[in-house]
Amino acid sequence: MNRQLKDRILRWVLASSAIAGCSLLALILIAVIWRGHSAINIDFLFGAPGNFGEGGIFYQALGTLLLMLGAGVLSFPIALGSALFQTEILRPGKTAELFQLLMYSLNAVPTILFGLIGFMVFGVWLDIGVSWTTGVFILAVMISPTVQTVMRQSIEAIPEHYQETARALGLSPWQRVRAVVLPQSAYGLVTGVLLGLARAAGETAAIMFTATVFSGILFPETWTEPVLTLQTHILTLAQEAVDPNTVANAWGAGLVLIGIVFFLISLSLVIRSRLSLEADS
Amino acid sequence: MRFLFDPEVNWKHPFVLLTGLTAVIASGSVVLLFLFLIVQSLPIFSAMGLEFFSGSDWIPGESYSVWPLVYGSITVTGLALVWVLPLALGSALYTSEYLPPRWRSVVKATMELLAGVPGILFGLLGVSFLAVWVQDVFGLIDGNTLLTASFLLAGMVLPTIMTLAEDALRAVPFEYREIARALGLTSSEITFGVVLPQALPGVVGAVLLGLGRAMGETVAVMLVIGGLDRLPNPWFDVTQPGQSIPSKLGREAAEALGSGLHWNALIASGLVLFLMVMVISLVGTRLLNKGNKMSREDCCGVGGGNEPSVKILVGKN
Repeated sequence: MNRQLKDRILRWVLASSAIAGCSLLALILIAVIWRGHSAINIDFLFGAPGNFGEGGIFYQALGTLLLMLGAGVLSFPIALGSALFQTEILRPGKTAELFQLLMYSLNAVPTILFGLIGFMVFGVWLDIGVSWTTGVFILAVMISPTVQTVMRQSIEAIPEHYQETARALGLSPWQRVRAVVLPQSAYGLVTGVLLGLARAAGETAAIMFTATVFSGILFPETWTEPVLTLQTHILTLAQEAVDPNTVANAWGAGLVLIGIVFFLISLSLVIRSRLSLEADS
Repeated sequence: MRFLFDPEVNWKHPFVLLTGLTAVIASGSVVLLFLFLIVQSLPIFSAMGLEFFSGSDWIPGESYSVWPLVYGSITVTGLALVWVLPLALGSALYTSEYLPPRWRSVVKATMELLAGVPGILFGLLGVSFLAVWVQDVFGLIDGNTLLTASFLLAGMVLPTIMTLAEDALRAVPFEYREIARALGLTSSEITFGVVLPQALPGVVGAVLLGLGRAMGETVAVMLVIGGLDRLPNPWFDVTQPGQSIPSKLGREAAEALGSGLHWNALIASGLVLFLMVMVISLVGTRLLNKGNKMSREDCCGVGGGNEPSVKILVGKN
């Protein structure tokens, strides 16, 4: 076989695998929209839940947003603080390596383990039981490495001479952070939070037995009440629903959930592409 | 201390104290999690001993054995890797070596969205489509099998492996490609003969990180794996239902909360899962960072960086 022919064949093989890889996303979207669009209407989006899987998903969506925002608010200071500590105060060396290793490990922990141990720590020890606060705590710990990594990378991407100038002016670490680091990495910080929120909104395993119920409540009124979420709503329906209408409702809820997650990720993509355009010009 | 930290740092300053505290919280939580897993699983180890790893039954109240779950986890993730590897590496190579920058960022954005698809939606897709197809194609009574779970996982880790492998490929310095081009090699010869061998550690790292992610995946697997806590018979028949560690934890954690040995057995399975995932992910991370760092050093070295590629070219032709 001649070399040019071989080159052309390999190129087509690689191209088709890339097309197949990307079309997976299209397939998923088509499947979700195809099955879910019939369920979507005003009553479904803004109605209260009825008997098993019937009625609307307004409170489920509200619950997902509540857990997501709670986790975002809690993890923001932790992620930002530790990103600043790592970039501005730690020096390259054993401590920095150990810290990085621990952050990598935290990022790799299977989410179900956050559920198990988080429930022991927050639910049992803090005595808040199966409640939305437990869920918020667990999700906050779970997303903090994601948020921290994106924040750290955007801080590290600040040109070295900005930092050097600030040092040469004799600024203290706090002054440097306020004058240089935060303004220069602001977009990156927002991106980190958005990706963290997207991760929290799509998570099921960590909250399914620690924060949520399927029915019996609309929206938590105290700290220790559980919450309805889209994720666990779909989970229960996927396991138990047989009625076609109920199944369609599960897909409708899935469509709303994927909408929330994709909105957050797309927003972060837009911010980042604008950022790289600025860097190029 | 001054070797570890910036010597100008004033430790009494509230800014330093506060960020230090958040750093301790963030990094301490994984240590705490690990300690909790160990402490809470001690009772089952003292009750069952090595039986916990070698037995074959999980009957709450009688005996607990993690071996079928470990087998299920490894089989499912291993198979998923086999399905996804050609596709993920093919698209990574095409995106990194052939696509113009604009299309490249489109593919990367697609992969990022794909990575964000909630696990529960994969589960729903698995229940409604994949399980039914597997049932029809293989003529099974029940479509919820180890095989079904492995197909689903393959789709879930595709974006992780693809995007990380693509980064590793991009990290190979451009001089290598230019020299190879100047020697008259075709694009595919450059891709497979120069870039891929150079980026191999990083690509292996990407695959390991994908594997680590697949191993910890819970809800999607839980819905389609079948939930049977024993080894398939014969052991290689993956068209039978099985169980993986996360799926077991997801199914039984709620009912076993604080209920003696059953709970301890679940936590101990969690510990086994934690150790497997940690080893895989940390080795993967190390390879990935090493690969990226190596190529950066090569590119900055004077002339020296060009030698390996020339050797590879000579060896290949």
